[in-house]
Amino acid sequence: MTYAVETEKLNYTAGRGEKAFHVTDLSLHVPKGAVFGFLGANGSGKTTTFRLLLALLKPDSGRITVLGESMPEEYVSVLAKTGYVPERPHVYPSLTVREAIDLHRTFYPTWDQKWADELLGEFNLVLDRKQSALSKGEAGKLQMLLALSQRPELLVLDEPTDGLDPVVRRDLLSALLAYVNDTQATVLISSHLVHELERICDWIGLMDHGNLLVEMPMQEFKNGIKRLRLASAPADLSNAPFTLLSREEESNGSQQWLVRGWTDGMHEFFTGRGATVREVVDLDLEEGFVEILRSSRANR
Amino acid sequence: MFAAILRTQWKWTRGPALLGFILGFAIPLLSLFSLRSTGIGFAAANVVREMQQYGLLYAVLAGASGLTCAMLSWGHDHRGRHVYALSLPVTRTRYAAMRLGAGAIFLLVPALGVFLGAVIGVATAAIPTGLHAYPFSLTMRFVLASFVAYAIISAISASSTKASAYILGGIGAVVATLFLLGIAGVGQDAVSWIGQALFAEHGILSVFTGGWMLIDV
Repeated sequence: MTYAVETEKLNYTAGRGEKAFHVTDLSLHVPKGAVFGFLGANGSGKTTTFRLLLALLKPDSGRITVLGESMPEEYVSVLAKTGYVPERPHVYPSLTVREAIDLHRTFYPTWDQKWADELLGEFNLVLDRKQSALSKGEAGKLQMLLALSQRPELLVLDEPTDGLDPVVRRDLLSALLAYVNDTQATVLISSHLVHELERICDWIGLMDHGNLLVEMPMQEFKNGIKRLRLASAPADLSNAPFTLLSREEESNGSQQWLVRGWTDGMHEFFTGRGATVREVVDLDLEEGFVEILRSSRANR
Repeated sequence: MFAAILRTQWKWTRGPALLGFILGFAIPLLSLFSLRSTGIGFAAANVVREMQQYGLLYAVLAGASGLTCAMLSWGHDHRGRHVYALSLPVTRTRYAAMRLGAGAIFLLVPALGVFLGAVIGVATAAIPTGLHAYPFSLTMRFVLASFVAYAIISAISASSTKASAYILGGIGAVVATLFLLGIAGVGQDAVSWIGQALFAEHGILSVFTGGWMLIDV
């Protein structure tokens, strides 16, 4: 598998003392052509990771490769092929929409003005309006327009739909998916809206306190995380073919387990140990996300 | 690319630049006008004395132009924590050079005002025998002084917030220390050494001192 983004044992520290924030031994692998959803609570290190990938920050140690080139050494070449939508609109707010586009496009030789014009119409953006006068939704649309019209090979989107209404979110994601279908570009997107990522991503990464907890195909993640309702639990858990994330005793003596890496044939593990699985419950991404965070924090 | 930077920067700088042009145009004319209005005539000694009184205004305008232009050139990047600039596919030195270059070009607007005001003023005034007008030298000095102020403030503004805070904090600490030493009447040597280093003949701020003479012997 070839990767659009790859990091090995990436370390970074911001701040000092008790307030210091660390990204620790981050090894991230984003396959080429994937829509990779980056999940994590506030302050988990998603934005810091994006900034490290794009050479906006310099790592303390470790290796970063983006689009086959080493970062931060090759940042000029990599940034020319990367569309970036940061957490907050970053193009100077005193410029009008037209001025922002005119400024931005001069830096990108691959700029597609025809498509930019189409997106302008699609997003209903007024060219002569100052960015500081744009609504949050309009500002988000402009950021996406600027990133997409570069015709990038990689899109790094840091909560691009955060705080936007459902209609604007849908417009933005439609434009994004149309582009991805058309170009097979790689997308690395973070969001708090777990259901949104569930709909559009085919890979998922989960971050907490600067550590990458999970990195796997979305389908595997969703199918592999289950809540098991056990009438009786096995005493011996050695050689379990799954990972037990958490266990809760219920009043009637039964137990609820949260497991990762579950497949259908694993019932035999329980029957072979005299235990009974009463029910296997599918979890959606959000439930899986919350449970993994909970178990990770309990083990810290 | 530079043209686009130039356009955006003109938008941010044009108000103060045009104000600088008007003030720069007015100062030499005012100096000559005040000479006439005093009624003391265009005697050589009077002219030189009157010109000296206006010297400070040129220095202040040059300093203010450099400071304002630097702050406006970098302020927008600074407020956005330089995220936009850093995400652009150009080397950081090239980006800084383009911003710096664009600001330097707009600094010439007030200087142009000084030059035109000086040339027109001198052309309409009767300069006493033995005195000469120096509109070009005065303008060059104005340009140099405004560039010095621009370069210093740019170095601070283009840095990260933390670096800017350190630099400004350092300058503030030195000024406060000098002030306290002055009050206490101790460390006069240190005070005068720093004063020399900044304002003496080869000091970095020496261009602001001395006579800014439009008309001199």
